[in-house]
Amino acid sequence: MSAEIHQGKVFPPLVRHITQEKINLYAEASGDFNPIHIDESFAAQTPLGGTIAHGMLILAYISQMMTQAFGKSWLCGGRLSMRFKAPARPGDTLTVSGRIDSLEDKNGVSYANCSLECHNQSAEAIVTGQAVVKLLGGES
Amino acid sequence: MTTIGYEELVPGYEFPSTSYELSASLISKYLKAVDSSGAEFVPPLAIAAYAMTAMAGSLSLPPGSIHASQELEFFKLVPIGTTVSCQAKVARKLTRGQMRMLVLELNVFDQNKEKVQTGKATVILPA
Repeated sequence: MSAEIHQGKVFPPLVRHITQEKINLYAEASGDFNPIHIDESFAAQTPLGGTIAHGMLILAYISQMMTQAFGKSWLCGGRLSMRFKAPARPGDTLTVSGRIDSLEDKNGVSYANCSLECHNQSAEAIVTGQAVVKLLGGES
Repeated sequence: MTTIGYEELVPGYEFPSTSYELSASLISKYLKAVDSSGAEFVPPLAIAAYAMTAMAGSLSLPPGSIHASQELEFFKLVPIGTTVSCQAKVARKLTRGQMRMLVLELNVFDQNKEKVQTGKATVILPA
């Protein structure tokens, strides 16, 4: 296990500014054209009151942070469980953060148990959840 | 493509299997959209996003449906250019008052039929 992987480790936060242009770009890239994301007049008529970012876009940011922290261990041994708590809207600045809560060994394999969060500029939680990473021997 | 609506779905319903190539151009477009730089392997969230979109192609949900939660597990590195297939089914269908929810399970395999990724998405439909 890498010396950089230890209980209590806080991952370098990832900051992303959400704009309608970025949401539209993600819609084009992913093929998810749900009007709640891209149609401002439609979204204004819903209880959300306006367009929101795709949940999978926010998860992509979380996965980026985890890839930076764990490399291939995340790409081929990661497990993620996240709950969307509030919408991310155009104009929001999101900060993705996380830490290693514990490390454990099961049958000779090491796992990192992590807590993760994405919040907006008002410290409102947008997404929260946990991840477990199966650590590859000799690399982080 | 024929689509199926919420009312017709039952737990256990399996969507038609889909396959798609995670081409360099597709991944390049994805990376740009998520503010990321070049990747040696396909980002796992790209695989998940395209699996969801592929499934959504045969699912007719009302506009305004939103994602409530997501579970994902990644099993292997996926080189750019890999063709994957996606299988999806309805795990649960819930109605609480006016709230309607669907829990969808996804499994993604590579061309060697090895499991690449699994996922479970909970979607809330507008009242």
